[in-house]
Amino acid sequence: MAQIGLKEVVKKFGDFVAVNGVSLDVHDGEFLILVGPSGCGKTTTLNMISGLESPTSGEIIIGNRVVNDIEPGERGLGMVFQDLALFPHMTVFENIAFGLRVKKTLEPDIDRQVRAAAEAMHILPLLGKRPAQCSGGESQRVALARTIVNDPSVFLMDEPLSSLDAKLRVDMRTELKALHERLNATFVYVTHDQAEAMTMADRIVVMNGGLVEQIGGPLDIYDKPASRFVAGFFGTPTMNFLQGEIVAANGALTFQCEHIEHFLAENTPDSLAGKQVILGVRSEHVVVNSGGQQGQVKLIEPLGDVSLVFFESGGQEQLVAKVAPELRFSSGDQLTFGFQAAKCHLFDFDSGTRLN
Amino acid sequence: MTESTTLAASVHRNGLLSRLSAWFSQERVFRWIPFVMVEGMFILILIIPFALTIYISFLRWRANRPFEQAYLSGLRNYESVIADSGFWDSLGRTFYFAGAAVVFELIIGFFLALMVHQITRGRRFYITILLIPMMVVPVVAGYNFSMIYLDSGPLNQILAPGLNLFDINPRIRWLSNPIAAQWAIILADIWQWTSLTFLIFLSGFSALPPQLINAARVMGASRRQTFFWVELPLLKPAIVIAVVIRSMEALKMFDPVVLLTFGGPGTSTQTVAYYLWEQVWQFNKYSFGAAASIMLLIIFSVLIFFGIYLIGRQGKAIERGEA
Repeated sequence: MAQIGLKEVVKKFGDFVAVNGVSLDVHDGEFLILVGPSGCGKTTTLNMISGLESPTSGEIIIGNRVVNDIEPGERGLGMVFQDLALFPHMTVFENIAFGLRVKKTLEPDIDRQVRAAAEAMHILPLLGKRPAQCSGGESQRVALARTIVNDPSVFLMDEPLSSLDAKLRVDMRTELKALHERLNATFVYVTHDQAEAMTMADRIVVMNGGLVEQIGGPLDIYDKPASRFVAGFFGTPTMNFLQGEIVAANGALTFQCEHIEHFLAENTPDSLAGKQVILGVRSEHVVVNSGGQQGQVKLIEPLGDVSLVFFESGGQEQLVAKVAPELRFSSGDQLTFGFQAAKCHLFDFDSGTRLN
Repeated sequence: MTESTTLAASVHRNGLLSRLSAWFSQERVFRWIPFVMVEGMFILILIIPFALTIYISFLRWRANRPFEQAYLSGLRNYESVIADSGFWDSLGRTFYFAGAAVVFELIIGFFLALMVHQITRGRRFYITILLIPMMVVPVVAGYNFSMIYLDSGPLNQILAPGLNLFDINPRIRWLSNPIAAQWAIILADIWQWTSLTFLIFLSGFSALPPQLINAARVMGASRRQTFFWVELPLLKPAIVIAVVIRSMEALKMFDPVVLLTFGGPGTSTQTVAYYLWEQVWQFNKYSFGAAASIMLLIIFSVLIFFGIYLIGRQGKAIERGEA
């Protein structure tokens, strides 16, 4: 059994509060990703699960027991570190065998298990080398082999792909996901890369400033961000945000700001009328060449499959639209645009929480 | 008229000065200035005395006779050095002192560093305290120890209760018993230079990547296993550096000998540095001393090159990631 529970966990370093009352449950066999900007407390949370840090208050439960006072080595976890933390003075074989030697496994068993783990990670030819002689991707596999050889029921990973180049990182994502399917173990993974979180996770925990902003499946979070922060953190390019007021007119609610007027979806609660809000709309939900708003193109980024059009609407902040590549614009062109009403997000101006 | 002469002179002087400064400020001239100064210093205080020492080592000369009477005598001085048991005895004693002192300095320094590394509160305070001995001028340290070692001095006072239990006379004559005097000198050296090994090891401990230790902990390694399997192997470079640096220094041990025992009782605490100093400055045997120091230079050079080779090999191992 490998479900993990955190109950009101707080971690303070002196006066600095790194984690401020986090509660969450990790289900058995789940791939859970903690994501957030630097300093949001995600690594500290992971370190508290691993036992490398002990919480200032709150409980950490693995299986059915509270592990607050249990040594990291006795929690039955495997961990892959950000810089991989391979022992530079040992060969790849010795690195993988480390955990087995700690457990005083018999020599023939060590040899068999290390080879099995190395074979699973396709690194058999590397066993005699030193970590410094391995490439980034190879070191990554060695670190994974060193963890899987101990057969933990929970894998903790602290930004393990951050040292790889972009191409390899994308390949390793697929591989990690396959590894998760094969091992059927619980994975808790920390990253600051929202794309990594979206592609691999069963569930995502978005953290900010030591607090959990939202927990949910990748598409839930993308489609219904719980706060302005989450909305801005997920998706590239960043969601368009407009600051304005909700006005009730002729029985319908409209969003109004300096130069833009937008009819809100019918299911928008009437109680919002008169409120100062922030309207968020993703670039793919900005409709170009229809709708009643006027804009002027500033910049085009053709990505091949789509083009990003950055435009201004009467001195307002810059907006961006994702358009089909067949639509050719050039800088200075006039365009008309509108927003898909059902895809607009409304956030409270002060607190940033979701309103609709 | 006088006015015009002085004017002319000053113009002339100014002309000369400005011509000189113009000449100096040319780049091809100017870029030599720092070079000439440094190299000049180097030649003056190293090369010339060194060449003179070699020259003198081939002369038959004692400083109580005029230098004009000196004459070349081939390798005679070297023969007498080789035949001189005092030289070899003091050399052997030097190795004995240096070996004993360095072993203790390494062990004590290592454990102090290990302990201080684990302290989080008041760490700076302990580091400062433990580094003080190294900062004390050797002469002052030696003088202090000469008082500590007095028959009725503090060391014996402290030891007295323990020694009384075993019916040993608590007035140990630290500086006039041959064996006690040898260890008195070794002890003084240990006190002063453990600071350095402590510093080297502390920086070694601080440079250990915490993630490696965390990785070992998560895999269930005990404190002992982490130390022997991860930390100690990674500290090997620091250990080699400490051994080489301290050995090189300890072989030149001189100050505590002069300050505590003057090589006595008898010759029991004569190190080779002290022996050379005595031969030259007390007995005026300049050419003998010159020959002996050249031989010593050769012996120590071999050892030092071996040490540098060890450090270099360690450095390459670190680059290869083997440590």
